[in-house]
Parts: sequence; C-alpha cells; structure tokens
Amino acid sequence: MAGSSTSYYFVIIGTKDNPLYEAEFGSFKQGGDGIPKFREEQRHMNQFIAHSSLDCIEDQQWASKEMYLKTVDKFNNTWVSCFLTGGNIKFLLVHDTRSDEPIRQFFADVYDLYCKTLMNPFYEVNMAIRSQTFDQKIKAAAKKYL
Amino acid sequence: MALPLEIPPRARSVMSTSKASPMYNLRSSIASTGSTTSLTSLFAGTGASLPRDIVDDIKSVIHHAFVPHIAVHVSDDVDEVVREKGLPDFYQLIRPYGEKVQGRITARDSQGSSVPFEDFAVRFVRLSDVAQKPERKGNTSGNSFRNGEYGGTNAGIPEAINSEELPLADELLDLHLSHAEELIDTNLATETESHTGQAYYLLYLRKILSGFPVTPHETWAHPVACLIAISSRNTTPIDTLRQLYKSGSEVNVPGYINKEYLRYYVLVHDEDKDDIVKSAALFEQMKRHFGLHCHLIRLRSAMCIVSDEDSVPVAKSQWLPASEELAELHAHQEEDIENDTSSRFIHGSDEAAIKTMVREMVAQSVIPFMERNIASWNDQILSRRKGIGGRVLSFSRRFLGSTGTRTSSNSATASNFDAATNSYDPMTPEAQMRKLADWSFMLRDWKLAYDVYNTIRTDFNNDKAWLHVAGAQEMTLISLLLTGQPITPKIRADTIDVYLDAACYSYVTRFRAIYAALRCLLVTVELLRLAGGSSAELAAKWAIKALDLNIRPTVGRALISQRVGDCYAVRQGAGSGGWGGRRRKAAMWHVLAAETWIRLGKFAQARHCIDVAMPKYVNTEFVLIRRFVDQMRLDSGYVNLLDLKIDTGVGEAGGEIVEVENGDGEEVQEDDDGEVEKPTLDGKRRSILIPQTPNGDAPGVMTMDDADGPL
Repeated sequence: MAGSSTSYYFVIIGTKDNPLYEAEFGSFKQGGDGIPKFREEQRHMNQFIAHSSLDCIEDQQWASKEMYLKTVDKFNNTWVSCFLTGGNIKFLLVHDTRSDEPIRQFFADVYDLYCKTLMNPFYEVNMAIRSQTFDQKIKAAAKKYL
Repeated sequence: MALPLEIPPRARSVMSTSKASPMYNLRSSIASTGSTTSLTSLFAGTGASLPRDIVDDIKSVIHHAFVPHIAVHVSDDVDEVVREKGLPDFYQLIRPYGEKVQGRITARDSQGSSVPFEDFAVRFVRLSDVAQKPERKGNTSGNSFRNGEYGGTNAGIPEAINSEELPLADELLDLHLSHAEELIDTNLATETESHTGQAYYLLYLRKILSGFPVTPHETWAHPVACLIAISSRNTTPIDTLRQLYKSGSEVNVPGYINKEYLRYYVLVHDEDKDDIVKSAALFEQMKRHFGLHCHLIRLRSAMCIVSDEDSVPVAKSQWLPASEELAELHAHQEEDIENDTSSRFIHGSDEAAIKTMVREMVAQSVIPFMERNIASWNDQILSRRKGIGGRVLSFSRRFLGSTGTRTSSNSATASNFDAATNSYDPMTPEAQMRKLADWSFMLRDWKLAYDVYNTIRTDFNNDKAWLHVAGAQEMTLISLLLTGQPITPKIRADTIDVYLDAACYSYVTRFRAIYAALRCLLVTVELLRLAGGSSAELAAKWAIKALDLNIRPTVGRALISQRVGDCYAVRQGAGSGGWGGRRRKAAMWHVLAAETWIRLGKFAQARHCIDVAMPKYVNTEFVLIRRFVDQMRLDSGYVNLLDLKIDTGVGEAGGEIVEVENGDGEEVQEDDDGEVEKPTLDGKRRSILIPQTPNGDAPGVMTMDDADGPL
C-alpha cells in the first residue's frame, strides 16, 4: 500500500477455516479517514494471506499461554496478528504497520463483542455473524484503537 | 479441443520448425532430470516426504554443477579431422562425454579413505573462453560500472560475476514451455506426463548452474587441467605441442587464475588415413618428452551416416549454457529439415575411444593431480594457518592491517588482497586455500571443504574482500548442508540465516551480482528443502527472497513461486489433522504461481498449479479467494474432471461442455489479441469482484450465493 495510509483487513475465522465475519477499514490515526485503501488486487490477497497464516497459528497456538499471539506471520510487507479464543475461533488482522499494543486493545474489545454474540440463543458456533450492530461496534472499536 | 493457448509469435515460429526436427527433443532433456516426473506432482500436492529418486535428482544436479573444468586447446589439424566427420570441432565432439565419466571413479578424501563415485563429471571449456570473457567485460565495467560509488574499490571487478545467462535461461525455458503447451494442445503429450513443475524447475536450475562465469572470488570456472591435442597429420608434432603449450600459457588469462594447471597431451590418430605404426612411434616420443599425461586416441575421419553399421548419434550435452542452446534452437529455425545437420552420427568405435580417453584422463591424471594438490595445500597452508603460528601471524597481520587503514587509505599494503582488481594473486595463501576448498568440494569431500571455507571466511573478512567473503559464506552453507549433518534450530538461526543474509547483501547491494545471489539462494533452498521439516520452511522463506531479486514476471519468477509452494508442501504436519503443516501456504503460493503463469500465457503450467492448490480452496467460504481461483480456472481453460464426469453421466450435457470450452477459448482469445495480457485480465477480474453491499456492510459470507455467478 505504497504511499497511502494504513489499511486493515479483519476477519474472524471459525474452526473449519471458514470466515465468520470480515471487515476492511482504514486507519483513523494521523488524519486517516477510516476508509480502506486496498488496491483491488490486494483485496483477494488479504484473504489468501489470512487463510495461509492459519498454518503458522496452528504452530504457535500451543506454545503460548496468551490468547493474543501477536504477529504470527508476514507476507512481503504485510503482517498478520492473531487473537485466539478459547473455542479455537481466530481473530485475524492483516495490517501493514507493526503496533502490538493498539491491536491487543482492539482484539480485547472484539472478544467482548464476540462473547456477547455467542450468548445469543439463536447463534451457534461457526455461524456467520450478520448482525448490523456487531458490525457497527467493530467499526467503532477500530476507530478507537487503530 | 479449443483450449486457449498463447504463444509469442517468435516462439511459435521456432517451435513449428523445431517440432519436426529430431534434434529438438524436449523429452530427452527433461527426462534426464526427473526419473519419476509424473510422481512429482503427486507428492508435491500431498506433501509426502520426497521419494528417494527425486532427492537423488536434485543432488545430482548440484553435484554435477560444481565439477572440475578442463580447458581444451587443440591444433588446427585436430579440428580439421573432426570437421571431416561433420562436426564443428574437437571441443564439441568431446564435450558431451565429460558429463558422465564412464564407470566408477574413486578419489581419496582427506582421511585417506577412497570414495567411489558412479557419476563423476568434468566440464570441458574452450581455453579461449576462459581467457577472453572477463577481459571483454572488464573493459565495459571499468567505464560504466558505478565507478565512483564505492570509492573505486570496485573498479576492477569484472562484470562477469553478473552472468548474462540469467535472462537467457528465462527465454529458453519460455521456449521449452511453449513447446510443451503445443504438445499438450495437440494431444501429443498428456498433461500429467509433461507439465509437472519439478522437471522444468530442475531444467531451470541446471541452466542457471551450467554457465559459471570466470570470477576472481571462486575457482569453479578456473581450469583444473588443460587438454592439448594434435593429430597424426601434423608434420611437426612435438614442436606443435610445445607451441600449443606456450600459446596456452600466453593466452590472456586473467591474473587471478593459477596457470599451474595440469597439461594433458592427446594425440588424435586418424584411423582412416594414417598409419598406426607411425602414430604409435610418435606417441612413444610424446611420452618421452611430456611424461605420462599423454593419450593416444584413434578416431575415424570418415563421415558417419545413419545407415552405417555401428553408427551412434552424437551425445547431446545436458549442460549447455542457455545462450548456446538458444543459439542452436534459433539456428534450427532457419535451417531446412532436409539438410539438417543436427542429427549427427559418429562411429561407435569413436564414441568408445572418446569415453576411454575421458575416463583415463580423469581417473589417472586429473583426480590424482587434484588429490596431490589438495594434500599438499592442506599440509602446507591450512595446517599452518590453523596452528598457533598461523593464529599469531593472522593476528599480527590483522593488527597491522587495521593500523594501515587508519594511517593510509590503501590498506592493501598489509594484506595480500589487491583491491584494485578485487582479487588475490593465485600464489597467496588465501587464493590457494579457496582453491583447496573448491577442489575438495569438486571431489565431494564436503567436510574438508566446509572446514576450509570456514577458515578462509575470516581471512577474507579481515581483508574486507567482500566478494570473497560472500563466496565463502555461500559455499560454507552449501558444503555444510551437503555433509548431511542434522540441521538443528541453532544452526538454522545462527549459521544459515546469518550467512545467507550476509552473502545476499554483499552480492546484491555491494556488487549487483544478481546471478551470484540467485545461484546461492536456489542451491541452498534446494538443499534445505531436501532436509525437510522446519528446514523446508526456511527454504520457502529464502525462495521468497529469491523472488525479490527478479521483479519482472518471467518464467523464472513463476517457476520460483511454484517452488516456494513446493517447499511448503514438503513440510508435513503431525497427526491426522496435519498440525504444523504448511498446506495452506503451499496452496497460496501455487495459486500465486498460477497467476504468473496465466500472465505469461503458459496455461498448462497454470492448470497444474491450480490442480495442486485446488483441494485447499474447493470448499472455501472466503468469497474473494473463491472468485479469484474460479476466474483463474476460466482463464487457464481448466476443466474440472469431476464436472466432466457428472455431465457425461447425465448424457445430454456433453454438448454443453464443448460449448463452455469454446466460450472459454474465445474469452481468452480476446485477451490474447490485446498486446499485454495483464491489464485486460485485471480489468476482467475487477468487473466480477463483488461490490460493497449497499448498506455498507463488509463483503463477506452474506454474499456467498453470488460466488457461483460467473461460472
């Protein structure tokens, strides 16, 4: 993403390598407007990168006590950060600048939201999350931390 | 079959003529690289541990790349005899036979035990080639090659370290692949048989390793021996030999090449015209004058044609540099098939005579000569360097050297390193140690080679001879990996990663020696890949680095991306779930390779990559991945075998398939009409990407149903 401000691709991946929720957003820091600036050919690459980083996560998930695995993978100039829930649901963030702490805070908020979604009696594990509210809250969390 | 196919016009014309010519035998050049090519794709896909013969294939490519070079210097009358046989010259005649020395060759290692080699090889080169190339390039480099950037320290570096072979290797592979596409298209070859990536990758690797440039920092291309030949027609044989010896020594060889190589004298006896008794007498005389390194070879000067009783085709050289093979192919394009000189034959007796000569020369002269030198250098230089005295010496030298740099800009006074030509004089201990290491490497004594490379690396480092340091680092790694000692995580982190990084930095940033860097990376990657496990992952990591060296989408780049996938595929997971495997990464890199292949118009290769990657993506719920892969399948004319079966099962749908295929063909044909495929492809792809959903939601699982739309 040469020359443009940071953009993020966020995905929640279920236990069967299936995406539950996806979002793209830009940075609000440094005067960013929160609009993702992925080039068209980068958008499918984001999914490829996220998907392929699952290999590395499977490696690292047993080695760490933390749920936040920090940066797990790198592809060219793109990093992948991961947060692993107790139910083996992965939160992945594909980003092009390294900043561990804000991402940790963001993930913590997302984990909260995800747990609330889990409490919904109509929601089952590995189901796609389509709630508008959830989406808005994720975007709000992104605005707050990223 | 209306499979879309795009061949550049130039390639097409070459291929259309060469297909008919017996010389252009793709199969033969591929077959030699992979004995089980069809298995390769299978194993690359599942990531099973590598079968034995594939390991052997890769190792043998690497073994055969670093072999002794033997210069050939012959009198005109020898070439004349060979020309009467219908071959260009003596060098061309014997070259293929150096690639596989007949029978078993034994060499003693540093421990004194003999090691047998079944497949020893030597490389014949023209003495003039050794001499002229660096000189010519040196001239150009002096003027244009970033003279001021490093304060003149690099001024004397011949640009030869940047081999011109690289783009040519790409071009050659391009031709080979286009040819393969054509064969597949016309059903002359089945896809599974001929388009496995491994065979082509090995071919590419071989082409890269086949033309070592003559450089100061390594001695691979420096001649180990020189073959001097005269024929029985010569009227003043002994004088001519002396003359050849003299002209051979006076040839303008770069100063850093040691001229004290072995001279091997050959008398070519013309069986058809000359008297063997006279030749035998002459041979005796030669032996008296020049010692034991002599050989009498009996060749027939008569032209040999196919119908002759004992005719055998002239062997094809497997290690032709890309430039020569290209030239040959282009020459064929212009030739008629009738007066085709390519299908040349020689008498079976000639072939046997040449094989015997090569064997005798290697077994009785070259190898003992190398062993003797290795032993004496080992005694005189290495042990002294390693002993207490050597340490003190090197320490004092370092001390002097560093004070030298402080006081004057010319630090070379304290060391043997000549910064002006970026080389060591061949008689200095440093140059001799490098030679010792290289030679013991050629005789496959990896352990000794590793020790010596390790020792000289520090010497070069003290002299700030960066090119030499990089070369030693490269070879330290390669010999370490070849010793077959287990690669611990510590070695991976402290040795392999560090040296590779440093060597690449030196090659690329200091010297712009892309060729050297690529060679270093590719060889190491192959060896790491063979080690398997976590080393394979490291291999993938460095293969990705190799991709950065070459930004343009060329065949080489596509092959290397595919190789990254293969490297990941080697890493297997544990248990039924395959934990810790790299299947997803392998799939991603195969898809990326497929994308490059489509861009290059090599659809069969693309289909192969997609085939390998598909199992991982076939049920994926990532919409964009699905779209992308489906689009690629369309672009490459991929036909899912499962779909085909289902459709024919229904019966009437058979016609539909043809329609679909035609449709694909047309679509891609449109692409081909455009001069550059890339923008059209991208344009097309963009048009089918899902737009953001109206309510501003992220594109995602909720739009799943659309995924089947474009199909």
